[in-house]
Amino acid sequence: MTMTCNDRNSVMNQKTILTLAALSLAASLFNGCGKTDSAPPGGDAKTEAGGRAYTIGMSQCNLGEPWRVQMNADIRNAAEKHPGLKVVFKDAQNDTLKQRSHIEELVGSKVDLIIISPKEAQPLTEPVAKAMDAGIPVIVLDRRLLGDKYTCFIGADNKKIGKAAGEWIVKSLGGKGRVVELMGLMTSTPGQDRHSGFREGIAGSDIEIIFEADMKWLEPDARKEMESALSRFDKIDLVYAHNDPGAHGAYLAAKAAGRDGIKFVGIDALPQEGVAYVQQGILDATFQYPTGGAEAIEQALKILKGEPVPKETVLGTRLFDKSNVAQGGQELK
Amino acid sequence: MSQGPQPQLPSGLKRFVASPAGRAFIALLLVLVVGVVFNADQAFFKIGTHRDTLRQASVYGILACGMTLVIISGGIDLAVGSVLALVAVCGAKMAIHWGWSGWLVIPASLVVGAAAGGVSGVVTARLRVQPFIATLAMMVLARGAAKYASGGMKVSTAVQNADGTYRYVDVPALFRAIDTRILGGNLSMVTVIFLFCVAIAWIALSKHCWGRYLYAIGGNEESSRLSGVPVLAAKTCAYVASGMFAAVAGLCQAAQEQQGDPEAGAGYELIAIAMVVIGGTSLMGGRGGIGLTLLGVLTIGYLDKILSINAVPEAGRLMLTGIIIVAAVLTQRRNRT
Repeated sequence: MTMTCNDRNSVMNQKTILTLAALSLAASLFNGCGKTDSAPPGGDAKTEAGGRAYTIGMSQCNLGEPWRVQMNADIRNAAEKHPGLKVVFKDAQNDTLKQRSHIEELVGSKVDLIIISPKEAQPLTEPVAKAMDAGIPVIVLDRRLLGDKYTCFIGADNKKIGKAAGEWIVKSLGGKGRVVELMGLMTSTPGQDRHSGFREGIAGSDIEIIFEADMKWLEPDARKEMESALSRFDKIDLVYAHNDPGAHGAYLAAKAAGRDGIKFVGIDALPQEGVAYVQQGILDATFQYPTGGAEAIEQALKILKGEPVPKETVLGTRLFDKSNVAQGGQELK
Repeated sequence: MSQGPQPQLPSGLKRFVASPAGRAFIALLLVLVVGVVFNADQAFFKIGTHRDTLRQASVYGILACGMTLVIISGGIDLAVGSVLALVAVCGAKMAIHWGWSGWLVIPASLVVGAAAGGVSGVVTARLRVQPFIATLAMMVLARGAAKYASGGMKVSTAVQNADGTYRYVDVPALFRAIDTRILGGNLSMVTVIFLFCVAIAWIALSKHCWGRYLYAIGGNEESSRLSGVPVLAAKTCAYVASGMFAAVAGLCQAAQEQQGDPEAGAGYELIAIAMVVIGGTSLMGGRGGIGLTLLGVLTIGYLDKILSINAVPEAGRLMLTGIIIVAAVLTQRRNRT
């Protein structure tokens, strides 16, 4: 009796697990469908000068970060301005092999051009090279691949942005002051570059870094580290955080501690995040880390029309502070 | 000199040191001693440091309250971090975007948490799926639901209009009320909420027959069933309770960030489990208590703070945390004789 009971249960266990697996599969399929968007509706309409409709495949490495959601939005908005341009979006959910198969799928469905924002260089270099061999031009966005078997690269320079932030901080503090640096994940390249660029920017001034901590890009961690800095130091002039959520967390910590007169500077300047914080008077400045989405569509059109494009485009940054946020920021070369 | 090799302690103290609570207390004391020695230019002696330690540990602590109930029943709940994020997103949507009052947001959030916990509970207790697998599935599912509900973006006070521009709304009164301080600014409200959760879990475990059922089930599920314990209901309720505690933690997280972040709470389940286990509650179930968890929460909370005020680099922090956790557990073991 106990035996049959157990048997039935184990069958049920298997069934449940199978059901769960099926459900999660269905969910991920559904998810994929949801992300595969096309612009504009009825993409086969006639077009642009050449009279041809183009399909662009966009392989995004993950949509967990708001910045990448913004990148897709920028691409979609730019593409919508050109009737006949259809963009197929793929989200690899931070899985390198999934992104690889997305590239292979796009090659298989014979898109006219591929835009890839790769998760990592090594494993994705070869799939991209194969796409090139199949005669499909590839634009690489944000992170680099190995070698040069792609059509062009568009990306921003974190070191340059960190340096711009450092220089702005020197200017706004009058050359001297006590600064807290809340760093992004220091095992990541953006974190390292935003750190070293910043140190380059403040070199030669009397700015003193009194406290530095790794907040791993996370707002709660930034708040915690800032609380520690506040309990150790009675005078802090400015907080430089490697991203806007970090600067926001530090602001909340200082406000809760009743400490005024501290300036907060962040990086990324997403419209609904950093720029909004500057507009609300929470941050004093933020520096845009551009997604390159609009530029990618611009260059894609040139490539499709057979015009030459630069092999490498390094995007500039924009400064948003109190004085210029209403006008949409100020371009820094 | 003529006495035996063991110094004689007064028997009350001796019994305390040998008890699970005594051992957990010694682990906490050890961490506090580290703090006194490495006090970061006296920062450790400021009252604000202790207030911040308790604030920082509170969200984890609230999760640990639910985790204690589940672990005592012989299970585990890996979904709490994701449920936290789901409720943070839903709570922020309701409070910020829809402008609901706290009296609506709190019960609605608790319902979301209870529903997520209820599903885990039914799948575990009724359908007999291993708690590890069932709650792992819920962990993934709830994270997906959080991303779906938020559209992948943080739910913040910058609300997107239909035409793509942004308008700014005030931080809701509920969030301000949760992220405030009382007693002349010396105690964070989230800490009060945490202690309230501890009290509820204590009443449930020590004063209510449901608590006795959980201990019995964790000790031996088959014999509890045979002696008439309502195993199904009691176990399911443990997961429902854990989901509700995660909902409370989610609201506290959203209030402190002033936004609902669908990525919030990743990895928090492991911290909550570590807090429960360091307190001395057995992962095998049937033994432990909420008082032990409180000590575990303080131990890990203080450890985290001490490393932070000393600005120890991340690599060193992780290694030191590992070493100190093992040391704390070993201290407990040596006193067991």
